[in-house]
Amino acid sequence: MPLWIQILPGSGEPIYVQVAEQISKAIARGELASGDKLPAVRKLASELVINPNTVARAYSRLEQAGLVTTKTGSGTFVSDPKLRRTDAADINILTERMDTLITRGLNLGLKAQDLISLFESRLAKFGNKSKKREEEK
Amino acid sequence: MKFSILLRKELRECLPWLLLAAIAFLAVGGFFLRAEAYYESDRHYSRLSAGTIVDHYRLTHYPILRATGPWFFFLSIGLGLVLGVRQFWIPHFTRTWPFLLHRSVSRKTILAVKLTAGTIAFVISLGTVWVALYWYANRPEVFPVPQTVRVFIEGWIFIMLGLVVYLGTALSALSTANWYTTKIFGLLLSTVIIVTTLSQWTLVGIFTAIAVSVAILLVQIFDTFLRREF
Amino acid sequence: MNEIVLETKALTKYYGGTLAVDHMDLEIPRGCICGFVGRNGAGKTTAIKLMLGLLNPTAGSSRLLGCDSSALTPAIRQRIGYVTEGHRLFRWMSIGGLEKFQRSFFPKQWDDKFFADMIEYFELPKKKKIKHLSNGQRAQVSLALALAPNPELLIMDDPTLGLDAAIRRQFLEGMIELITRQGRTVLFSSHILGDVERVSDRIVVIDKGVIRANCSLEQFQKAIKKAILSFADSVPDNIHIDGLLHCKRSEKQLELTLVGIDDEKITEGAKSAGAEECNIVKMNLEDQFIEFTAPANHRRLFQWEER
Repeated sequence: MPLWIQILPGSGEPIYVQVAEQISKAIARGELASGDKLPAVRKLASELVINPNTVARAYSRLEQAGLVTTKTGSGTFVSDPKLRRTDAADINILTERMDTLITRGLNLGLKAQDLISLFESRLAKFGNKSKKREEEK
Repeated sequence: MKFSILLRKELRECLPWLLLAAIAFLAVGGFFLRAEAYYESDRHYSRLSAGTIVDHYRLTHYPILRATGPWFFFLSIGLGLVLGVRQFWIPHFTRTWPFLLHRSVSRKTILAVKLTAGTIAFVISLGTVWVALYWYANRPEVFPVPQTVRVFIEGWIFIMLGLVVYLGTALSALSTANWYTTKIFGLLLSTVIIVTTLSQWTLVGIFTAIAVSVAILLVQIFDTFLRREF
Repeated sequence: MNEIVLETKALTKYYGGTLAVDHMDLEIPRGCICGFVGRNGAGKTTAIKLMLGLLNPTAGSSRLLGCDSSALTPAIRQRIGYVTEGHRLFRWMSIGGLEKFQRSFFPKQWDDKFFADMIEYFELPKKKKIKHLSNGQRAQVSLALALAPNPELLIMDDPTLGLDAAIRRQFLEGMIELITRQGRTVLFSSHILGDVERVSDRIVVIDKGVIRANCSLEQFQKAIKKAILSFADSVPDNIHIDGLLHCKRSEKQLELTLVGIDDEKITEGAKSAGAEECNIVKMNLEDQFIEFTAPANHRRLFQWEER
């Protein structure tokens, strides 16, 4: 399973956040499907040359976000999207962020249609595997 | 196992000096012994014309010491200085003390092994050659008069003086005293012992002086090494 | 299992009149990687040598694996790996000779395969003498010699000083490899903040012999922030906010470095000072370290003047 994570120490973003965000992106893009097993903490730590505790913290951040579940003894697995809780608070944050984006876009002089096209083209980049999963449902 | 690997390492570090001293002693001592042997030989005396005054002292005092004496003495002192420096000053220079001292053996053992190695180096290099030269000098075809045991012992006294200098150098190298004179206490003590020894005491007196100075130096060396910072 | 493997209490060291280490209190639990950070001459090497019993403290105490540092028994030393400053090894010995030497002191612990793998990976010829190796190669040998006995506690004194990025990475890999084994602890001093950020759980910042910070890396990174305050009219001379470390004035802005204070309190303070805008900026570890250890009235070396 090709999981490509790039660590940038010195970027200001804590490393565990970087790891979590990139795994999160991989899940969103469909590179990691539901049920896929994430690398063992020690293995990933060894490959990325970072502290195992950092990897553990990244995994636990993902678990709190509902993206993965840990089964003691077996490992950490990408969770079933159907079983992911969508917190009202999460949706609120998402809405806020969308508002920020829309505000920025409109301030730049983009029209509503431009914004929608931009959104769709970005979504497409995440798209193919996600669409497949959608079709399978 | 740990003791032997440490000893081997220390001996290996002394090896070049050990060999140099032994070869130098053998070569120079051997050469002068041959020269003395010729001088004492029938061939020499038979060629002298009648009536030549022959030195009475030369005939009755020990050819081997005459031949080897000064060289032996200086080599011994020199070896003492060199080994003391090699074992106790060079590691400061190469900054290898921390690596050596962080071992699963006590600091006392590390020091004991160093000193043992130095002593062995002395005995092997100068001692073996001295025994060889002494044996050679005792062969009838070399000198008609056999060398006495006293001569043999005097040779070993030179070696012991070298060891005293070795310990004195070690102490000076290890000393962290600020006052210059205190720092070279070890060297000063060894010089004093040498001077008193050479002023012809009895054998018992010499041995006592050497033994006392070795004891003082060893106590000081151990004390300094165990307390010292690296 | 939160056993403390390394602790110091008011550890102090004077060199004549100079204070090298000033009442250092440290507690390092088992299983953590602790980064010892400080500028050159801050006291890192002195502290480490004190911990290993190579220096005698002027005051205070230090204990490793429960044993006092001035009386470390051979049995305890066997459990501690030490990478010395400058990687000074016996110059006349070959790598193979050093292997035999080191191995003799760890008859049961030595991992032959691990050592051999490392030497092969580093492409080091076993017959070569230490004096013919480059600094980097010597460091690699030093690392292999320290890791092969599988030490419980590994102490490394500025192991990557002057070494290139590839070798620095190898040292980090070695540390991670060790830490993934049960119950191992690593203390390493460094001034490459990027390396410290990658692998450390804890960070200890030393400045002029004093510990200025001693916490988890996460806490340190969260605690130090930069806030840019923009003003419509004049920039105030003084600003009072808790946790203010440095304040830099420019024409329309105040650049504040703060430590240990919530974002809300910062924005409040900014508002009460009359700031129009307050941007709280993320800092990377290197900048945080520099700001944290800079003297109170520091200024930049080169001041850019508006012409």
